[in-house]
Amino acid sequence: MWEGFRKRESGEMRPRSFASRVRSGRIASIDLSNRKEVVSPHKGSVNSLQVDLTEGRYLLSGASDGSAAIYDVQRATDYEGGGLIAKHRCLFSVGKHHEHGHKYSVSTVVWYPIDTGLFVTGSLDQHIKVWDTNTTQAVMNFKMPGKVYGTAMSSIATSHMLIAAGSEDVQVRLCDIASGAFTHTLSGHRDGVMTVEWSTSSEWVLVSGGCDGAIRLWDIRRAGCFLVLDQSRSQMGRRPSISESTSKKGMVSQSLPTGHYSSAKSLMHHKKTPLRPGIKQLANLRKNQIVAKGTMVQRIHPGMSSSRSHATAHYGAVTGLRATQDGMYLLSAGLDSRFRLWDIESGCNTLVNFESTRLQSGKAIQMAVAEEASLVFVPCMMSVKVFDIWTGMTSRTLRGHFEAVNCCYYNRQDQELYTGSNDRQILVWSPSIPVIAEVVLPPNPSTLKIRKPL
Amino acid sequence: MEGEEGEVRRLIERATDSTDPDVDPRLLKAIKSAVRSSNGEVAAAVDVLMEKMKKEHSQVRYLAVLIIDELFMRSKLFRSLFVTNFDHYLSLSVGFRRGQPLPPPTKVASLLRTKSIEFLEKWNISFGFHYRQIRLGFNYLKDVLRFQFPNRLENQARLQREAREREMRTKEILVKKFENLKSNFSTIKGEVQSTLDEMRQCLDIVRIRRDGPSDFIGSGEHDEAELIRCPELQHIREASLKESEKVHENNDNKAIFDVLRDSYKILISRHLVSVQDWMSVLVRVDLDDNRFRDSALKEFIDIRKSLLSVKNECDELGFSINTSGLADEEDDDIIWEEGKIEVQDQESKDGNLVKGKGKATNIEQVKESRNSALVTGKGKAIDCEEATSESEALRSKLLAEAPVMTWGSCLDSWGSTQRDVMANHRGLEVEGHWGRVDYDAVIPAEKIAELNVLASVYKEKPADVRPCLAPLKNGGLCQRRDLKVCPFHGPIVPRDPEGNAMSMNKKAAGEGSSSNEELVRRLTKQAVKNVREREKEEHDMVRSLKKAKLARVREHNEAVLREAALASTVRSQGVGGGEEHVIKAKKPTLASMLRKKVMVKDRLSKKLLNARVTEAAVRQLSQGEEASYREAYPNQW
Repeated sequence: MWEGFRKRESGEMRPRSFASRVRSGRIASIDLSNRKEVVSPHKGSVNSLQVDLTEGRYLLSGASDGSAAIYDVQRATDYEGGGLIAKHRCLFSVGKHHEHGHKYSVSTVVWYPIDTGLFVTGSLDQHIKVWDTNTTQAVMNFKMPGKVYGTAMSSIATSHMLIAAGSEDVQVRLCDIASGAFTHTLSGHRDGVMTVEWSTSSEWVLVSGGCDGAIRLWDIRRAGCFLVLDQSRSQMGRRPSISESTSKKGMVSQSLPTGHYSSAKSLMHHKKTPLRPGIKQLANLRKNQIVAKGTMVQRIHPGMSSSRSHATAHYGAVTGLRATQDGMYLLSAGLDSRFRLWDIESGCNTLVNFESTRLQSGKAIQMAVAEEASLVFVPCMMSVKVFDIWTGMTSRTLRGHFEAVNCCYYNRQDQELYTGSNDRQILVWSPSIPVIAEVVLPPNPSTLKIRKPL
Repeated sequence: MEGEEGEVRRLIERATDSTDPDVDPRLLKAIKSAVRSSNGEVAAAVDVLMEKMKKEHSQVRYLAVLIIDELFMRSKLFRSLFVTNFDHYLSLSVGFRRGQPLPPPTKVASLLRTKSIEFLEKWNISFGFHYRQIRLGFNYLKDVLRFQFPNRLENQARLQREAREREMRTKEILVKKFENLKSNFSTIKGEVQSTLDEMRQCLDIVRIRRDGPSDFIGSGEHDEAELIRCPELQHIREASLKESEKVHENNDNKAIFDVLRDSYKILISRHLVSVQDWMSVLVRVDLDDNRFRDSALKEFIDIRKSLLSVKNECDELGFSINTSGLADEEDDDIIWEEGKIEVQDQESKDGNLVKGKGKATNIEQVKESRNSALVTGKGKAIDCEEATSESEALRSKLLAEAPVMTWGSCLDSWGSTQRDVMANHRGLEVEGHWGRVDYDAVIPAEKIAELNVLASVYKEKPADVRPCLAPLKNGGLCQRRDLKVCPFHGPIVPRDPEGNAMSMNKKAAGEGSSSNEELVRRLTKQAVKNVREREKEEHDMVRSLKKAKLARVREHNEAVLREAALASTVRSQGVGGGEEHVIKAKKPTLASMLRKKVMVKDRLSKKLLNARVTEAAVRQLSQGEEASYREAYPNQW
């Protein structure tokens, strides 16, 4: 620890790597927090969790009793046990009693990515509602053709305000907050769409996972999907991991005319910079690959190919999707109890063997990725498993819930994990060493040795 | 280290391998001391206990939970290691998951559940703040699954509150009573005083009358005491003198005695009780101004003293009026009568008395009841009763001897000498008959006697089947009446009132001593036996060796069979047959707890539901149906 400080002081270590090093050290020691407690007002299973992207302070939860609630995870509302336990009660909740409240289970909740003034809830009563946080009123209501399973908003979008919604219906719909209408209906799936996820590298790219086991990538500026992930198409050996990606990046950028990775990365931090059409290169790359292989020439026309493609990513429904922060990889979970890590650029299965687990059926699950420590948190029945994203090894199993866990959300700012489960609880998992103790106490080599990113 | 960890494992394994409802305290102590020795031990204990919790046997889990509780309350390290797997533990001990119910036996399983819930609450109260998992588990079971917790803290608070309220109420009542007393203290005092005065006067009168004779007796006593040396006689004499000293009621002082009795009654039943009540009220009441209280209390004490002294005087006077007798004088006879009826019933049952004799016994009873009433000192005149009682005694004696006959025509000429009887003494008309008619036909006495011979059918004595009287679990005695063997408690043997079997030997000895004949017979038997035994002895020497060998072989076989029976299914247990007894006598094992008890229903179903019986029943039914069909349509086949 002190060595790290010295290195940072002398400039040997760059600020970001220093920060990620500290973070990964803390994540490695994550455990059920005894000092922090989120008091869930829900009377049903917690289906979805998200912390706002702007402040990293407000936790939003949606539950089966048709309610959604917001908590302040930074400031506790009250203390118990002589200040030992900080209780975070909900700031407010909107449930069935609310005049605009959902009638049935809230399956998905999303913060408006730009600020905390709005949030979106999707429910099994076939409605998606946009709420004003300050007045706690529903300001917009989208009627969907079926039960809503998943919604998503792009965190890097600058030119659109679209809510992607997957529902019982085969079509993925994009709801525009600005106009209050559906702007797109993306057809291609042959069954309901369980989960949708915006790409973290391009604001135009949407990934959807359906009950038919297919994962489709859509460019919303064009008709049809441009890529269907196929589990049989695999790429031997994963590409260099995130930690090595800097060197790799140079290599790739040499081969490609424009380095869109760096632009994507910078986008995450400077949303105002205009996005370059990186996806074109992506498509080009794919085209080249396919041509080189000499198979399926039809795929050159992406819109055409989508309807013909019958490739599947999983043998069962795809229940969870999560893109890594750099937008290069996509992690998917299916009802075949498999996790697959996809290289988005090549569209190949990277064949990372995640240890076998059992997954809850019938519900979409929400996974979380902690980039710095290259860990992924996955709800597996009653526990949350922590996998190494590149090797697929189980590094931890977090046990605490009494019923199946539905969702987890990693708060990057505080290195905390929030999990919601069928037992109505929202648990906080935090590094067992508090920040203050870490600074004051002598370094603990064991916690730091676990991950060395550089 | 390795060996020591084995120690904890061994201890826990031994402690959990028992059918008792508690862990052996010595083993528990050993486990505690073993765990205390090092941290590795604690970790090993956690592992072993979780292993035990996974056993498909509620008894093992139950004992493990008890041990866990002991360690949990004592060791922080144990707690911190244990809570990491807390949800698993809860699912194993409470069995709240639908897919994983608690294993058999069900009785222990329910006990296990209640106990672990109780422990969970206890842990939550004492350590909940430090372990999120415990809080979570508690809240989950309480709020989500709505388990009923004993709620000890709240219960205690509620009890305390209730007690306080009750105290307040009693205080209020006391104060009210006190105020009441304050207002009519003087009247109470006056009433008591008047009764007391009355009694004193009466007593004085009585005493004056008594004075003369008592002097005389007192002087005579001295002389005669010298004459009579024998202490027993002296004692008897003293008693009789004392008796004579008492003033007896007679016609002269009857009025005084009546008054005295009445006021005595009032004194005992009303004044003494009320004074005592008031005193207790005064003692318990708590007021700011205690002056009146103290003075009243003092006065009451004085009153009570004088009351008691008067009462003592009355008692000394031989005026033993028991209050209960006075309270229900009118009901007295009826009560006695009732008691006696019951007794009589019993008697008629026991000593083969026939109903017809009931009258006599009734008379006796009535007399007895009167006598006993007299004993209690009712003081009624009973002279006339005495006179009649002698003749009655004779009659009852005769009645006891008299034979019991059934009512019939034979009783018409009971005791009379046999005579010839006219054949037609009832005036039957015989004119219309053809043939010779003898109006004076006579049936000779012999013939009559012959006809009157009473044929009696042998009637079995009502068998006195005694109840088994073996002690039952619920504290009663077995009331089953079987001839020889009770199906639940074995052969019927005489038992004492608590149900313990009186030993047969004692009884035999008692009988033997009572009858000389028996003794002689036994002696001869013994002699014969002795001779025979001597002969046998040589044989036995050889035989016993053989027997021992055989016994050893048999023992081995039994052991093997027993093991097989325990290891395999219930059916194979039946193979042993004879071994069943041995197994029962053995210590119950964990496996035996799992075995289903064979109930009456099972036995019946085994008999009634087997294939042969059902087939037979079906066949019979179909036959019946066929027959009716054939009857209905005889021309079809």
